[in-house]
Amino acid sequence: MGRQCFLPNNDFMGVRLAGIHADTQERRTNPLVSISDEPETLYKRLSLLVKGHDKTVLDSYEYFAVLAAKELGISIEKVHRPPKKIERFTLLKSVHIYKKHRVQYEMRTHYICLELKHLTGSTAAVYLEYVQRNLPEGVAMEIKKTKIETIPEHIQKPVWDTLPEVEETQVKS
Amino acid sequence: MVAVSGPLLAVAGYWALLSRCGGRARAAAAAYSSVPAVSSRGGKQKEASTRRTSRPSQLIRSHAPPRTERMAVDQDWSSVYPTAAAFKPASVPLPIRMGYPVKRGVPLPKEGNLELIKIPNFLHLTPPAIKKHCAALKDFCTEWPSALDSDEKCEQHFPIEVETVDYVSAGTSIRNPKARVVTLRVKLSNLNLDDHAKKKLIKLVGERYCKDTDMLTITTDRCPLRRQNYDYGIHLLTVLYHESWKTEMWESEKTEKDMEEYIWENSCSQKNALDTLLRIKASENASNVTKEELLASELTNFSA
Repeated sequence: MGRQCFLPNNDFMGVRLAGIHADTQERRTNPLVSISDEPETLYKRLSLLVKGHDKTVLDSYEYFAVLAAKELGISIEKVHRPPKKIERFTLLKSVHIYKKHRVQYEMRTHYICLELKHLTGSTAAVYLEYVQRNLPEGVAMEIKKTKIETIPEHIQKPVWDTLPEVEETQVKS
Repeated sequence: MVAVSGPLLAVAGYWALLSRCGGRARAAAAAYSSVPAVSSRGGKQKEASTRRTSRPSQLIRSHAPPRTERMAVDQDWSSVYPTAAAFKPASVPLPIRMGYPVKRGVPLPKEGNLELIKIPNFLHLTPPAIKKHCAALKDFCTEWPSALDSDEKCEQHFPIEVETVDYVSAGTSIRNPKARVVTLRVKLSNLNLDDHAKKKLIKLVGERYCKDTDMLTITTDRCPLRRQNYDYGIHLLTVLYHESWKTEMWESEKTEKDMEEYIWENSCSQKNALDTLLRIKASENASNVTKEELLASELTNFSA
């Protein structure tokens, strides 16, 4: 690839420039990346609650999610494991009569909560898509996003000061 | 008749020859039994006996050595398992055993082990593979603005917090009706409100305001879509803000019982105190009937 590079530190041609994300020019050279003009949404906190029936699967998934967050440069606030919830119910063992003989079933749900902080909109989209696509079978996830915003323009000042004077009509009771 | 009898005679003759020749013919037949064209009857008998004991060659799968034997130690594992796939014992060079063992036994080996196939495996997400994926995804990420380090700075510049919940699960439908709920949180100290407006807003909002944290929480879920709920929440905030700045005619009828905090000026306690002091002064010196303003100044000294 004989590409003209006008960066001072790259005077050897034909080298793949992907992976160096410090320069904005590098981002533009990646053909898949497009930068839009709209302002970035900011997420103060992203809370991932992963639920599953098998604790070992959740542990492996937690290792994967934590490593992915570290590699993408996302700060992890804390990782904690809420206590498991067991849902039990008792059914009659036989189809007809025999009330004294029952069978009990239970469903165990284990949880892992991953709290990340200070994410931008595009970083959050990338991380969530990566992590959700690799969600194993039989595992569910709840994502709580806390977005921070400025006060909109129409709440900055009361509107009554700017409105023209309107004659108040008498309310006839 | 002649044609039929011909081969019969020939066959009979053959058998007669065998019986007559005895051992020599049998030896010859045995010698020639490997060549099926010559001694057809002897060969067929042998084949019939072998068919009963072992299966025909077409049904036995060729026992090729598993792929693990040809794998190098420093191979690129992400090319063996690039995506999520079931566990293949011939492709994973690990001596894994899984299953409940019999008494004084070991768990079952990996060949044909259903337990290993059932459980979700993370063979496609080894640390080098994750690092490769993240290196490719890093181009699409943006940096958090370094000026917003702490929560206080975030709150100072971006006071409104919008909380939404997404749900991911396996099932017949990807939709979850709980996903449309939107919660807006604002601290009233960040809004441009004066004293009267703040009190009126708190009265309008009722339970949604928490006095300890000075936080107004608006939860909307009456619309079917999340964006509609968010717009409705912002609309509510706007309406509350502007309505609280208005002063209606009936607000002048606010009594002491409606007040949020106790104001001592022009209260009955002040009046009673003033009356008592006046009477004291009047009883002490009949000439020194001071005006209420002087007493008020004394009282302000006391109350301050």
